[in-house]
Amino acid sequence: MNPPRLILSGLHRGENPQPGAGLIKSIRAQFPGAFIIGLVYDAMESGIYMVDGPDQVYAMPYPTSGAQAYFQRLDEILALSPADIFIPTLDAEIELLVHLEEEIARRGLRCVLPDKLMLQRRSKANLNELASLCDVAVPDTQPIYDLSGAYVVSRGLEFPLMVKGQYYDAKKVHTEGELAEAVSKLAAEWGAPVILQNCVAGPEFNALGLGDGKGGIVGLCCIRKTILSDKGKGLGGITINDQRLVGVCERLVRELKWNGPFEVEVILDEKRGQYFLIEINPRFPAWVDFPSQCGANFAGALVRRLLDGFWPASLQTCPAGHFYLRHQIEVHGHVNQIAELAGTYA
Amino acid sequence: MLNDRGFAFDPTSGETFQLSTTGLRIVRLLQQGTGHERILEHVIAEFEVEPNTASRDLADFLLSVKQVGWISE
Repeated sequence: MNPPRLILSGLHRGENPQPGAGLIKSIRAQFPGAFIIGLVYDAMESGIYMVDGPDQVYAMPYPTSGAQAYFQRLDEILALSPADIFIPTLDAEIELLVHLEEEIARRGLRCVLPDKLMLQRRSKANLNELASLCDVAVPDTQPIYDLSGAYVVSRGLEFPLMVKGQYYDAKKVHTEGELAEAVSKLAAEWGAPVILQNCVAGPEFNALGLGDGKGGIVGLCCIRKTILSDKGKGLGGITINDQRLVGVCERLVRELKWNGPFEVEVILDEKRGQYFLIEINPRFPAWVDFPSQCGANFAGALVRRLLDGFWPASLQTCPAGHFYLRHQIEVHGHVNQIAELAGTYA
Repeated sequence: MLNDRGFAFDPTSGETFQLSTTGLRIVRLLQQGTGHERILEHVIAEFEVEPNTASRDLADFLLSVKQVGWISE
């Protein structure tokens, strides 16, 4: 069998890292001959320049440019570098592509995506309803569409509040003044709705998994975040074995019949001994390569699924006690490399 | 997991702990099924602690290990 030729995105590491670089590392571990094409939105995405990084890199128009521009550019890229597997890794890409699977397939690309209904049901705006169906606790979460709505909703909640963009970013606010500032900023950056959520105090946990599209889970890795950045990003984590968290994930995936990669984010209310669902991301997290180093290669399993047409046997469980630390080093590039990407979209 | 240097890891919560020499001795005694009164005698004898202080500190420690779920009573 020829080595797979893949297209993937999300190559930026740094303060707000994306999963692409970790995916490349995991995929190369299982498929050493893979040819990997990176899609980038900015010539400064650091993964472009990593050792053993993508074999080829192309600049893309932002997903917000619309499907026509996106696919037009994809066609140009495929004409230059044919590929048979596509792994979109960013929320905004998945939002764009969920109902365009036929367009992707027509280009000879195999891709695993949730459907539009699954995606909507796990969105931050619909989290209360989903959690209730799955018997999962959730902090009171309300979507708001403008500033006056934010003032009204905030009076029914309790400060401090979390204010979240619909795709990314979150800010903790303590006053109506801070609320107004955060809502305006996040709405301008990510569009409406902006999400208001009650704060839950406690340690944060994440679970990375693959849903088989029928309600089952192909693999799951649960971690406790041990080091948090100022923005709440997990700079460190340790694998755990808590069947309560496994149960939360199983109920959510069963209800959604989730297809493909996901990340569940929860906070443990230690007084009540109860996990509170914070959000479900419809993609691999930035720490996707960590489980590969504990024997559970999630990216490899996804590629296997795309090559074979069916999911491989369940992934090995990551035993408790393995930890990761995010380790930043400098990558090297030359201005000529930026010049090659400049002038198109990046 | 608990090693002889008093480093402990709880696989359910992902928390790590560093026990003092006294704490490690108490946990080892608990693991052997030793009763609380007998543990108190060990602490007083082995660490030369005044009985009232030892009793109060042991109660605090047992409460802590109960809160993290290492013992149920």
